[in-house]
Amino acid sequence: MSIEQENKTEVNLQRRKILTGATGVVGAAGATFLAVPFVSSWQPSEKAKAAGAPVNADISQMQPGQMLTVAWRGKPVWIVRRTPDMLKTLPTLDGQLRDPESAESIQPSYCQNELRAVKDEYLVVVGVCTHLGCAPLYRPAIGSPDVGTDWQGGFFCPCHGSRFDLAGRVFQSVPAPTNLEIPPYHFVSEQEIRIGEDPKEGGTA
Amino acid sequence: MSDLKSEQNKAPGSVLGWLDARYPLISTWNEHVGEYYAPKNFNFWYFFGSLALLVLVNQFVTGIWLTMSYKPSAAEAFNSVEYIMRDVEWGWLIRYMHSTGASAFFIVIYLHMTRGLLYGSYKQPRELVWIIGMLLFLVLMAEAFMGYLLPWGQMSYWGAQVIISLFGAIPFVGPDLALWVRGDFIISDATLNRFFALHVIALPLVLLILVFMHIVALHKVGSNNPDGVEIKKFKNAQGLPIDGIPFHPYYSVKDSMGAVFFAIPFALIVFYWPEGGGFFIEPPNFEPANPLKTPEHIAPVWYFTPFYAILRAVPDKFLGVVAMGGAIMVLFAMPWLDRCKVKSIRYRGASFKILLTVFLISFVVLGYLGTQPATPELTKLAQIFTALYFMFFLVLPFTSVNEKTKPVPERVS
Amino acid sequence: MKKLLWILNIAFLLVAGNVQAAGGHGIELEAANNNLRDQDSLQRGAILFSNYCMACHSAKYMRYNRIGRDIGWSDEEVVQKMAHGLNKVVDNVETRMVPGVAMDVLGTEPPDLSLMARLKGTDYIYSFLKGYYQNEKGAWDNHLLAGTSMPNVLEGIQRHATPEDYDQSVRDLANFLEYVGEPAKLDRLDLGWKVIAFLLVLLLLSYLLKREYWRDVKH
Repeated sequence: MSIEQENKTEVNLQRRKILTGATGVVGAAGATFLAVPFVSSWQPSEKAKAAGAPVNADISQMQPGQMLTVAWRGKPVWIVRRTPDMLKTLPTLDGQLRDPESAESIQPSYCQNELRAVKDEYLVVVGVCTHLGCAPLYRPAIGSPDVGTDWQGGFFCPCHGSRFDLAGRVFQSVPAPTNLEIPPYHFVSEQEIRIGEDPKEGGTA
Repeated sequence: MSDLKSEQNKAPGSVLGWLDARYPLISTWNEHVGEYYAPKNFNFWYFFGSLALLVLVNQFVTGIWLTMSYKPSAAEAFNSVEYIMRDVEWGWLIRYMHSTGASAFFIVIYLHMTRGLLYGSYKQPRELVWIIGMLLFLVLMAEAFMGYLLPWGQMSYWGAQVIISLFGAIPFVGPDLALWVRGDFIISDATLNRFFALHVIALPLVLLILVFMHIVALHKVGSNNPDGVEIKKFKNAQGLPIDGIPFHPYYSVKDSMGAVFFAIPFALIVFYWPEGGGFFIEPPNFEPANPLKTPEHIAPVWYFTPFYAILRAVPDKFLGVVAMGGAIMVLFAMPWLDRCKVKSIRYRGASFKILLTVFLISFVVLGYLGTQPATPELTKLAQIFTALYFMFFLVLPFTSVNEKTKPVPERVS
Repeated sequence: MKKLLWILNIAFLLVAGNVQAAGGHGIELEAANNNLRDQDSLQRGAILFSNYCMACHSAKYMRYNRIGRDIGWSDEEVVQKMAHGLNKVVDNVETRMVPGVAMDVLGTEPPDLSLMARLKGTDYIYSFLKGYYQNEKGAWDNHLLAGTSMPNVLEGIQRHATPEDYDQSVRDLANFLEYVGEPAKLDRLDLGWKVIAFLLVLLLLSYLLKREYWRDVKH
């Protein structure tokens, strides 16, 4: 018999255990390293990142109250030129909102202010409802018939009835949990907004 | 070796016990791993079986990942390969692992088959193991051939063009058959699409099933060994072969070591020599397929060149195809062409040693000639070696009957 | 084990021998002696590529931002230096030639150069660019590719720079094209030895483990 059973006792079981453990651990580490390329190859590729690159929007032709939609990373981004009346109304709505200070919501730090904007006049917001991803409708008029007579202007999601004000802030007792997301952006000039890129250090916010 | 068994005995109420009551977990493990007794005298030639399995897994995993970014269309295929090489994170590594794996597969398989010839592993009672193995080889060649079209480079295109045209040499049905395989009058989008389907779904499935059968058949009859003696003849009181050792842990640790050893040259090629000097990735394949312009010199990938050389050596188109097909098919008959009772080359007569050496040399030389342009001198050479290749199979049945063999030991040495 | 090493060695030598035999172009190629790690050379090559090649050729599988990142330029720098600020950093490196013009003017479509170095080899590119000469009629021709429809675009450098500077310019260009052929090449070379070092450690451990278990087996 090739395997001498009586020999078993002479075998250094301690050494065998240690070697098995060491080989196992190093082998598992190797397998983990090997998994890295396969896992990371699912990240957005350079092509996807190129398609997700910042986009510029020309705002020189925008009238007060008008909304402009641009596509960024395949998602609609809305730019609304808010009128002075709209801006005046916004602070009065705080009591009806779920997150008036935008504490729970997603926006760059430079837009975490009352009007959620770099320049008060312009709202830049991702047009995707924070509830289940529908595209809300722009209802700027006061008392819009499909929203309600006490409506002060804002966005209304037809899917499940979520409502947002003209700073993209969500009202209470609607399904959407947080305010609409604000993308990173900055003003390249008075007439042009660059969406998808934070302002340079020291540049115009 | 019997960890699982003892665990079950210790804890019949365990998860394992629950599973084993509903699925033959432990008995399968024991039959094929824990208590599969393999001869104790395997030498390095016996690494290539498990290495083939390793390369198969590599091809499956990297292949699945390539499929995630590859686009099987004539317009996009070439671009998508470059997309993988440049834009997909780590895509270059996954692609090189797959392209290197293809060549590694054939290196391993050719060595595995050589082992079979050296030690008579095709002989009674292992004829079926050999035949299933040959089927695996055939399917693997089809798999590699179809895979090679997918990058849609010049070599992909014209290589496929030449090989598919071979079907045209078959009398009567040939041209229609070639047309049917292509699905078009030239190699086109339709051809690429069907090759893609076969390469990524159908043939891998067939390979998997055949590998399973190959192993089941082997475990039914037991492994051969470098001495070519049956270890089942001598059993101890427990009915276990005296010269056998359980596959696990002895061969599982040994094969793991072999796998790591193999991974080193593999990594060297992937990282430092992925084109393999133009043999693993051929330079003309860096140019997109162009149906209007043939590259100056077409040669199939190196692993097909021995058979390609045989094809070119025969001056008649149809007979060339027959010779090429015959060169592969005749291997199926090895269990019956070799009529010597002794298995291992260690105890066989001079005639077999000479014949096998000449055969193996012919195979390598033909492989080299297949990569070269067909000049008249080289064609002459290819004809000589084609004759020597076939001589092995023609002469063997006669010399092997009364071969002067050495006495075979009763037990493994 | 020794036998296995021996056989692998022989196999390696055989393959290497084959490669040598299969490599010949008929015409001796001049070695480019370029260095992919020389970022200055790659930057000079990129500018030369933009100035002398992109009028007709593209490198469409490359994006400007990738080039910038790999050869040490910021996004702004790469589009300034290679595209005069007219392209976006995420654009592919396309030719400046209007589509269709090449066929009319040159009678051929200038090939994309993304993979030229892999198709022909870096030395070929170097030798080709240096291979222009004026025949007895005073017309330009090329030693490597007689009758090529590509003009001697580097003629200006050839005439006005010193021979060393001219060689260096061609080398820089060949270097850049080698980079463009396989942008991940340096990643591959830098990672490889680490993987192999790791495998050697694992090999040692698995060898010790195998030896430990095989103590049981009596021969």
